[in-house]
Amino acid sequence: MATLEINDLHARVAEEGGERILRGVDLTVNSGEIHALMGPNGSGKSTTAKVIAGHPAYEVTDGEILLHLDEEDVADVDVDLDDDDYHWNLLELEPNERAALGIFLGFQYPAEIEGVTMTNFLRQALNAKADEREELFEGDEADDADDEDDAGYDTSPMEGPADDGEIGVAEFQEILSEKMELLDMDEKFMQRYLNAGFSGGEKKQNEVLQAAMLEPVVAVLDEIDSGLDIDRLQDVSKGINALRDEQGTGILQITHYQRILDYVEPDHVHVMLDGKVAKSGGAELAEQLEADGYDWVREEAFADA
Amino acid sequence: MSTKAIESLSEDTVRRIADERDEPEWLLEARLDALDALETAALPDVIQTPGRRWTDLEALDFEALVDPLNQSDATERTAGDDEVVVLPFTEAFDEYGDVIEANFGSVLDADHNYLTALSVALFTTGTFVYVPEGVDVEDVKVRAEMNSRSLFSQTLVVAEESSSVTILESITSGDGSGERVDGDRYFSNLVEVVAGENANVQFGSLQNLDDDTYTYSLKRGVTDTYAAIDWIESNFGSKLTRSDVETELNGDGSESQIVGTFFGTDDQHFDINARVWHQAEHTTADLVTRGVLDDVARSVYEGVQDVGEDAWNTSSYQRENTLMLSDDAEADASPKLIIHNHDTEASHSATVGQVDAEDLFYLESRTINPRTARNMLVEGFFVPVFEEIAVDEFRDDVEELVVERLQ
Repeated sequence: MATLEINDLHARVAEEGGERILRGVDLTVNSGEIHALMGPNGSGKSTTAKVIAGHPAYEVTDGEILLHLDEEDVADVDVDLDDDDYHWNLLELEPNERAALGIFLGFQYPAEIEGVTMTNFLRQALNAKADEREELFEGDEADDADDEDDAGYDTSPMEGPADDGEIGVAEFQEILSEKMELLDMDEKFMQRYLNAGFSGGEKKQNEVLQAAMLEPVVAVLDEIDSGLDIDRLQDVSKGINALRDEQGTGILQITHYQRILDYVEPDHVHVMLDGKVAKSGGAELAEQLEADGYDWVREEAFADA
Repeated sequence: MSTKAIESLSEDTVRRIADERDEPEWLLEARLDALDALETAALPDVIQTPGRRWTDLEALDFEALVDPLNQSDATERTAGDDEVVVLPFTEAFDEYGDVIEANFGSVLDADHNYLTALSVALFTTGTFVYVPEGVDVEDVKVRAEMNSRSLFSQTLVVAEESSSVTILESITSGDGSGERVDGDRYFSNLVEVVAGENANVQFGSLQNLDDDTYTYSLKRGVTDTYAAIDWIESNFGSKLTRSDVETELNGDGSESQIVGTFFGTDDQHFDINARVWHQAEHTTADLVTRGVLDDVARSVYEGVQDVGEDAWNTSSYQRENTLMLSDDAEADASPKLIIHNHDTEASHSATVGQVDAEDLFYLESRTINPRTARNMLVEGFFVPVFEEIAVDEFRDDVEELVVERLQ
């Protein structure tokens, strides 16, 4: 079982006098669990998601984000592993390294990228994941060589020598077709440019598709349900449940609405207020929030303090 | 007059060039006229912003760069078809002298500016392409290699009524297997295209000269009724490139597209210009240029859509985008739309920007490393112009050069 462990996380906007947004977040997500993270606007939900993924716009001022893996999470790795290889301090890693270890961020507003087809992008991502994992788990020698000169690739990283682990076209197509069918996505998607001209719903489906392809240990989904009609909401929910049921992915789902929780039933519900997790509970907490709003949580939190 | 007289230039020099090439009298006269024009012609206009002249052509040391009697090139010309004529002028005079005389200089005046006059007076290479009425050819290729201190090239394309031709030109520096010329060099390339009624000319040019070379290139076409001229102008090489691509839409219902790409690294400088004059009814123009700058490279772009008084029902579109990969690169862009006829649908835009940080983060969050992510975004940036390039082979060549520069 893998665990994402967030302890006393403090973060602010990474600029002179940048606003403090996270003020001591504690949260633990195990693989196979579904967590809902709720809370009013501006409480720090999206920032939490971005900081987990390593967004450069935020600076972590205190606390830690740890990722603990176990044997099944590193079954693909060919080299001998020591204890360090199972425990990672994410704050020391680049966004792409965090992703390669199995952290996935589903964006609230996915980037639209002209000129890069879905097929190209997804193959690129799958191959990059394999390469990056090799480097992360290979140990110190590989790290040294890589740090020497970031800009000094002899060959394009896209065509580099590390293509022995590349996923074959047929295999790729097979995995892809299967995942797309589950999400009820048309194959024509694959020839389109990444999110360019996608409807809001298509973009969200695409985020779930990417998670399905990358098989993360923990997927943080930032308002994956916003702007979806009921059909699309069901497709997306089916995709999220499959992540958990078939791949054992832990889900941290950020949402404003109770609605998606009818389809993706949470094991745990957390309420964020003022940059902290103010209250945690089971699925019934979401219903209570839907009925009564957030004020009572705030009052309770103040009373405790 | 700011330009200096070049010592090695004299009537005698010009006569020797014409003589060695056994040229007809009218061409010698044209060369001598061009030589005279040097006295009064000015260097081409360049963009100026307050306190800054973006391309300082006047600083070029023409005395050192121009060596008229030692020009050398290796040029391969393939027609791909018997019906089209693709020859150096020297081999075309006997049979096609009349066609050449009738069209040479009809599109481009030698005294247009100092550099055009210099080029007409001194050219020793170039190509005559003649596409007779109704002939349709796709595979005209001209691969030129520059092997001397200076090289002046002159190309004339005559496409007769209802003909169609695709011409791909590439210019590179010789690998130095011959006599090595060290130091700065100068390449001049003039191209005239005469598109007859309902003729269709596609002219692609790929410049990848070495970084000791200064390049001046002016390509201009004139369309008759229903004719179309599509240009693809790709600049990758040279220390300093001044490139002008122009179409005069003189025939009703005629069209032109000017697609441009450039990619500057190190201290390369590109001065890219695309111009179109709408001078007849129902004409259409589409100007699309995209460029990338890295290191301390610079670019300046000027695009002009000039809609004349008689140009009823004009459609004219222009967009230019420059992507900066380095904080030290610089770009200036000036799209100009001049409208003298209100019956016009037109748009023009230009942007200068950097790789989008959110786009980068998005790709990185999918395990793609920062360098690869950036390269994917740059290649993606060029895709809209690649999509305008109908010739697969040419598009592949340009894509290859982009990938090469990203490494």
